Amino acid sequence: MDIIESKTWIEWAITIAKFAFCFVPVLYILLLIPMERRGAGFMQDRQGPNRSYIKIPYFGKIRLLGYVQNMCDGTKLFFKEMFAPAGVNKLLYYVAPAIPFAIVFLSPCVIPWFGPMIFDWGGETVRIAGSIIDSDVGVLLLFGFSSISAYGAMLAGWASKSKYSFLGALRTSSMTISYEVCLGLSLMGILLLAGSFNLTDIVQWQENHVWGIVAQPVAFFCFLIASIAETGRAPFDVAEGEPELVAGYHTEYGAMQFGLFYMGEYSHICINSFLIATLFLGGYAVPFVTTETMQEHMGGSLAILCGVLAFIALAFLHMIYRYSRKLKATNLTNRFEILKEYKLYKIVAWVAAAAFIALGVCAWFFYNPENFVVNGLAVGSFATAVGTALIHLLVLVAKSLIFCWVWIWVRWTLPRFRYDHVMHLGWKIILNIALINLVVTAVIAKLLGGN
Amino acid sequence: MRVIKQKPMTVIERLYIFEAIRGLWTTLKHAARGLFRYETLPTISYPEGQPEIRNTYRAKHRLMLRPDGTPRCVACGMCAAACPAHCIFIEATQSDDPRIEKRVMRFDIDHLTCVFCGLCAEACPVDALRMDTKQIIFEHRSREDFVAHLYDLTNWDPKDYPNDEQSQMAPGGTKNAEARKVWGMEVK
Amino acid sequence: MSNYYNMPKLPTENSPKVEIFVDDRAVMVPGDTNLLEALKAVGIETPHVCYHPYLPVSGNCRQCLVEQEGPRGRMLVISCYTPVTPGMKIYTPASSARVKNARKATQEFMLVNHPLDCPICDKAGECTLQENYMEAGQNEGRLRPEYGKNYHGNPEHQFIDAKGQLRGGKHVDIGPRILLDEERCVQCDRCVRFMRSIAKDEQLQLAGRADHTYITTFPGEKLDHEYDLCVTDVCPTGAMTAKYFRFQKRVWLLAHTPTISMDDSLGANIWLDHADGRIYRVMPRCNPEVNRSWLSNTSRLAFQQFDKNRLPAIDASAIQISGGKVALVAGGACTNEDLAALKMLKDALGDRAELFGGSLLKVGAPDGIAKSGDPVANRAGMQLMGFADVAELLKRAGEFSNLITVNADLYGEDAAAAKALDKISNRIALSAFDDATAKKAKVAFGIRHWSEVQGTMVNSLNILQKLSAAPTCPDEKLAPAYEVISTLAGNKFNSACEAFMKAREYVPAFADITYDAIKSTGKLLGGNA
Repeated sequence: MDIIESKTWIEWAITIAKFAFCFVPVLYILLLIPMERRGAGFMQDRQGPNRSYIKIPYFGKIRLLGYVQNMCDGTKLFFKEMFAPAGVNKLLYYVAPAIPFAIVFLSPCVIPWFGPMIFDWGGETVRIAGSIIDSDVGVLLLFGFSSISAYGAMLAGWASKSKYSFLGALRTSSMTISYEVCLGLSLMGILLLAGSFNLTDIVQWQENHVWGIVAQPVAFFCFLIASIAETGRAPFDVAEGEPELVAGYHTEYGAMQFGLFYMGEYSHICINSFLIATLFLGGYAVPFVTTETMQEHMGGSLAILCGVLAFIALAFLHMIYRYSRKLKATNLTNRFEILKEYKLYKIVAWVAAAAFIALGVCAWFFYNPENFVVNGLAVGSFATAVGTALIHLLVLVAKSLIFCWVWIWVRWTLPRFRYDHVMHLGWKIILNIALINLVVTAVIAKLLGGN
Repeated sequence: MRVIKQKPMTVIERLYIFEAIRGLWTTLKHAARGLFRYETLPTISYPEGQPEIRNTYRAKHRLMLRPDGTPRCVACGMCAAACPAHCIFIEATQSDDPRIEKRVMRFDIDHLTCVFCGLCAEACPVDALRMDTKQIIFEHRSREDFVAHLYDLTNWDPKDYPNDEQSQMAPGGTKNAEARKVWGMEVK
Repeated sequence: MSNYYNMPKLPTENSPKVEIFVDDRAVMVPGDTNLLEALKAVGIETPHVCYHPYLPVSGNCRQCLVEQEGPRGRMLVISCYTPVTPGMKIYTPASSARVKNARKATQEFMLVNHPLDCPICDKAGECTLQENYMEAGQNEGRLRPEYGKNYHGNPEHQFIDAKGQLRGGKHVDIGPRILLDEERCVQCDRCVRFMRSIAKDEQLQLAGRADHTYITTFPGEKLDHEYDLCVTDVCPTGAMTAKYFRFQKRVWLLAHTPTISMDDSLGANIWLDHADGRIYRVMPRCNPEVNRSWLSNTSRLAFQQFDKNRLPAIDASAIQISGGKVALVAGGACTNEDLAALKMLKDALGDRAELFGGSLLKVGAPDGIAKSGDPVANRAGMQLMGFADVAELLKRAGEFSNLITVNADLYGEDAAAAKALDKISNRIALSAFDDATAKKAKVAFGIRHWSEVQGTMVNSLNILQKLSAAPTCPDEKLAPAYEVISTLAGNKFNSACEAFMKAREYVPAFADITYDAIKSTGKLLGGNA
């Protein structure tokens, strides 16, 4: 009871609501898969998968720019028969895919999704951390979690009773271990500067001083490469190199078991993107604007946010109109169907744009924290805090999306390394660079008289 | 034997990272093109959009017709002799028309076996067999339906070949009446 | 052979060898023949159109020109009519451009009025003109396209010749079995010579003069002779075409099986030309000792019945031989292997079996070309094996209670005479066809026809000849007669070779002959049968 009464109800409500962030990586999977597929298509001058559709009245076949394809694939994976090869260890075989997927729900706990919310609540000052667990060893915890996901691959490879799976698992585990070292070491510089393992502190240090990418550009590159390697994606996907190992550790998996590995991989990308954004790109911090300034002009800030969203909606509209015009001139037999489909997108985008503009205008002119009183309780500062958190969250998402794109971009550009090259790169190059970077950073930090 | 010496890589190239960035820039350009200039993608969304087929494309066969509508084919078997896939089957018979000695009774092309090399059209001494129909879609219910018979091969419309004088001489073509006069008497 | 003075003398194995100089190289050639054959004997082919080894030399085509060193220098002579003399100096196109040009010019002149009908011509593929064109001609066309060269038939089947004159007939119904295309004719007169000196019935003539010459029959008469289809063989172009083969198949699609025509005791050598498991035509196979290049219409057109009215294959256990005497009757088309199998069956049955052979048809007179007139093809073989004549069986029919006929249609041949056989209760017919005997038999057992079996036969000239099996059997389950009979005898022959080994045991004349040693032209048996 004491514990419950130690906090106000709003504090409890927000603390519990924060657990919703656990699902962010899962939502990202839904975003990343179409992004990867169509992005890969565009890079290769293809169209990417865009044929699946849902039929709705009036607008006809709705393809959601190819998004329906992923729903179809997901449905297929979900309803396929799960089977195990003869002679496998059934327990390990079935548990293995669950491990990387379970990590997906644990990892987001330490990421600061927004700056600490500080607001008055009935005269009391309430402070709520931006991460689900405001741990002082956040980074280490995160690394710990992501190391556990290697167990999934290990168990899968071992339990599959297939030499390809086993080789894949060996490669995965050795590569994960190797690159964890690089990952940790390249991070040490920024930790040294921020003087904390707490991710919120690191973000705040960056907000107050300079972004990690500027302070530690070398470490940033090392970290980026190492984390790409750690997720086991091209050009470091030797663990599932098709020409050598069929599909690596998940060769023997099908249906949703394979789906779990697949989703595990994408959410790993998501987590790593958030981590890089947090460590090197100022996390939730809005560029060139401090949190205090933003909070002082909350109405304007929200208006700018709405303006940005409205701009995105208008840009989308422009693309749709432009392409509709071009489409009319072609002789595709289904062009009128597509135009009917685009009508829906146009309506939605117009409504969204109008709504954002209206919201932005309202925020600009009518946002005044002093006026916000609910049942005699002044919630003005709470509203400002929520607004700040919202902006922070969106900024963080935007930053992480950039890195998600980097993952996809790199995968579809660079050819796969040979396995010994991967090890060579990890142990003999990145590790050394990271070490030198750490020493240099430490010396400079000492000379400049930091903390 | 010629030995081509590869240029040794420069230091910058050996560093890989810059070359990788160059590659990334290239793919980024392509991705941006797909995103912002979607219609310029070379992919044709088949079957809604059909590829443009040239006249010289070796598509499904057709048999040219005389002005009176009989196939020009004289069943000489040159196409069957030239065919590397042995997919042409011809049977000949005596023609009722005294101006023509030999006429084709059965002319089957098995399009499942055909390799569309065009040697048959090349071999034809009377320009009876052509592959300019631009029909590239072969969809049938059974294997037997893939065998094009005399009827299928002669059942084409001169309107589809507006610029081809020879095709226009066939019944229904613009030059048919003229050609009929030259050809002479009517044949049942 | 022929007593015509200008019949070519063909080289034989015993020809004296003389030395002549071809292209300044000394070669040994047969000395008693013409130059064309002598050059052929040493592997130098000379293109020719009118020359035919079994027809009198006419020498009108001038295609076989060679140069000969003579008293007045090197002169062009036709090799087909120039006898070989020792020490003569000959120049072929290999060394002489003059010969080459002369042949080329001759070839071009011959093609002036020849239409470019090859696509629709049945001779295309085995046409002498085509061969000569490839070998000696290869000239560019110098004619205007509106004349000749393309099929310009008209309703009257006339054609326009190189001078632009309308003439002739492209579709002359010259006889019941032959069609004549006058445009394709090159006036080599082979057909005329054949009818005159081989068929001895001068039905064809060259009429008209110069380039208006054409082949024709006497007014109101048609070309109709037992050997008239041979003119389509001798015709070097597609001018004479057989109606039965007209437009049936392009000749390059035909496969050829060398065998013997088993409807006459001369055993004319033939090619079975077949495609897709069907015989399309029968062509004479040159055998200088037997039928030369000739074949009678009867033998040639017999193939049209080979795949009709056939008996199906049934299980061998259907053949049950009851007690009492057994008459084994071999028909005329039985090979030596069938006879050996029958003899083996007789041995197995012991004294109660007797062998008979032959047919009830009348024996005619030999015509001196490709028929001996005796319908029992393997009569000599039967005599070697000790088969009694079937006439004896008719006399003693009452003694027998079993009758096994092999390819012997006794009822079909002479129903009245064969009535005597009705007394025999257990009649078994092994036959390719569902003929009268098979219909009357208790058990009718289908076997392979002679065109579908391997084997040997001895013809009326005492030559052992070899039959080959054409892959035209309508039913794979049908077995050769020797296989069926040897199964009955309890010692199954799996191949004709095995059966022939058995025949060797019975016939002393075969003793030192192996199956593979028999040449395609047969082997003359030593001694009298």
